[in-house]
Amino acid sequence: MLSDYRPLPGAFDELLGATEKLRATVEAMLAGGSAEEFARTQALAEAALLNQGVTFSVYSDARGVEKIFPVCLLPRVISASEWERLERGLQQRVLALEAFVEDVYAEQRILAAGAVPAEVVLGSAQYLPAIRGVQPPAGVRIHISGIDLIRDGSGAFRVLEDNLRTPSGVSYVLENRLLSKRLLARAFEAARVRPVNQYPARLAAALRSVSPVSPEETTLVVLTPGPHNSAYFEHSFLARQMGVELVEAADLFVDDDRLFVHTIRGPKRVHVVYRRTDDAFLDPEVFHPDSLLGVRGLMRAWAKGNIALANAPGNGVADDKGVYPFVPEMIRFYLSEEPLLEQVPTYQCARPEDRAYVLEHLGELVVKVVDEAGGYGMLMGPSSTAAEREEFRRRILASPRRYIAQPRIELSTCPTWDSQGQCIAPRRVDFRPYVLNSADGPWVLPGGLTRVALREGSYVVNSSQGGGSKDTWVLKGDG
Amino acid sequence: MISRVADHCFWMGRYLERAESTSRVLRVTSSLVLDAILPPAQVWDAALAVCGEDEPFAARFGAAASADGGLVTEFLTWDGSVPASLSNSVSAARENARSIREVVSLEAWEAINELHVWLHDGSGHREWEARPDAFYRHVRTGTQLILGAVEHTMLHDNAFDFIMLGVFLERMGQTARILDVHHHALMQLPPDLVREETLWLSLLRACAGFEPFMKRKAGRVTPGEVAAFLMLEPRFPRSLVFCLRESDQRLASIRVPGDQAFPPLRCQARLAALETFLASRRVETEDLHVLLTHVVDETAAICGELHQELFQAPQRAWPAPSVERPRAEA
Repeated sequence: MLSDYRPLPGAFDELLGATEKLRATVEAMLAGGSAEEFARTQALAEAALLNQGVTFSVYSDARGVEKIFPVCLLPRVISASEWERLERGLQQRVLALEAFVEDVYAEQRILAAGAVPAEVVLGSAQYLPAIRGVQPPAGVRIHISGIDLIRDGSGAFRVLEDNLRTPSGVSYVLENRLLSKRLLARAFEAARVRPVNQYPARLAAALRSVSPVSPEETTLVVLTPGPHNSAYFEHSFLARQMGVELVEAADLFVDDDRLFVHTIRGPKRVHVVYRRTDDAFLDPEVFHPDSLLGVRGLMRAWAKGNIALANAPGNGVADDKGVYPFVPEMIRFYLSEEPLLEQVPTYQCARPEDRAYVLEHLGELVVKVVDEAGGYGMLMGPSSTAAEREEFRRRILASPRRYIAQPRIELSTCPTWDSQGQCIAPRRVDFRPYVLNSADGPWVLPGGLTRVALREGSYVVNSSQGGGSKDTWVLKGDG
Repeated sequence: MISRVADHCFWMGRYLERAESTSRVLRVTSSLVLDAILPPAQVWDAALAVCGEDEPFAARFGAAASADGGLVTEFLTWDGSVPASLSNSVSAARENARSIREVVSLEAWEAINELHVWLHDGSGHREWEARPDAFYRHVRTGTQLILGAVEHTMLHDNAFDFIMLGVFLERMGQTARILDVHHHALMQLPPDLVREETLWLSLLRACAGFEPFMKRKAGRVTPGEVAAFLMLEPRFPRSLVFCLRESDQRLASIRVPGDQAFPPLRCQARLAALETFLASRRVETEDLHVLLTHVVDETAAICGELHQELFQAPQRAWPAPSVERPRAEA
């Protein structure tokens, strides 16, 4: 099936660029199978997801249409030694980011030292001056993070962005793994892959470890915006897998700075909230005085140390795309280490010289809004129209602080099932590993979400825009 | 147990039972029309009345339109604007289950989701056009599979109690309405037709009670025996008495009698009163229409009490958000 496989020029290919042994592993997996057979297996996988309701909601229509997140059964494979380097880099990065958020909401040493410009941090829409001085339980703020990585033309992993608020997608990692084991059992066994199904237990333990009361006495809940939210499947999935209640804001109330949930027997105390709502929808008292959303008094309960919120409010100040260029400086400042993971060179439109360069080269760069996620509000320079570029020029000049630009990095490609051509073709991928942080330090799930741009020629991997996913096999050995 | 979750469990049970009941009524009615004992309009009017949709149907299509069985079945099966339509009931059951996926077992969820997908991806509609009988059978076995999975794969905790409470209260209302509508219609017929056994047997079939009735009553098919069976037979799982007793047991497991920390529930007292009321009646001498109307009204009132006492969050300081739409997650 791979005899006609041709990589894309300029891109690192996860299969052809891999070591001999790793390549042999993947090739052995596909050996002997026919395209028809693979197409059937692929169809089985999609039917299983639909029947199980493994879906996400799209906002385009009033009722919220549910769609399955398309999956390509051909896995992305990472060798043990590659993984070990990545893991260390991720732990280092999360520790530095954790120290940064802690510092920003306390003494602000890093701003005083000038290692990160104060105006970039304090000017971020995600900075919450109101919570300065709050010490969250166990001192952890970034309990769950998803760090987006890409692989450049040379095959080096680079951090594209950090997600330190409500990173989603881990449920697909676990669901994709079930499909791999069910439908590719023999190949999976031969490859010797590290498991991922311990994630919910690890998550529950990490969350209970930061509780203001003992883990045994802790009531832990998952807070969801509700079934209309695009990631609702994941919210219910994690609650189910951790064996805890899934609550909506209206189920909760605060009395005497303590948090309760309404039950059929009356109020019950809650200690840890894994919240999957944005900061802005947490507490109308603090964020939107005239809003009906959220739980009135939640932030008071948190500030008093009566509940743990995961992730902590205000983390957005560290994953703001305007702050991103300074993460290497944070690593040097707080850990006195050199960064183990590369980043992507970034122009900040707030700086006059960068802005001038960006405006001159709009046709080559990728322009991003600093506080948008999900692939929205982007200009893909090389594929943009003159009108789009003009629109972004206007917007950048109107509020330069809101925009950054990066050269378009050639994403790596991975052999992917092309349902139109009924063949295996190279498609661009990125990678989101998940890191849990607790009093015991950061732990990286050996696996992660590989997102793939299923359309030929596409760079966009977002589920909302034609992307799909792959299982990621982190091998126990080097293949 | 969270009040909102209890509410979703209860409605999931009610909608499942409603879907099953509607599919049974439509299947039995289609079959009865073929026997050509009664004019089709009269038979279909009864089906519309059982679903509480007789007036909306007449308002939309005219009073004479109920002679068109195809129109009636389409209306009660597929119409998105008809609250009790079969496809709406399945969607609503599934939507409630989706809101509490952490509570419903995976196998129960898959069964409910598969029925929903089948109804809404075109395959169900093709089956309905080609073989309506097989279609209604599929819906019925689908709901039975779901309730079977609920019973045999979920923890028998309060979530289970609330689902079954929804099932039995809905079933009690359905049995009361089916009996009321048909009994009333059949008793208006000329005496020779009233004795027509086929009509009374189809009433039993609409409640899945044909075989159980024959076993209990040894073939004595009289209007009084049929009514008494559907109301008072303690071992028939769709009789009023059976539904009452089951509901009572589920409630007793939610609020264990004597529990000091959990104040007594009005809905429980009201349910007990209805049980006593039914036990004291003599079906042969009563005006059944008055009696059954009381059962239907009390069932609705008990559901209202449940809502106030258990599903509403009393300390809610401000109105619940209708639909919250923050932007997509990263």
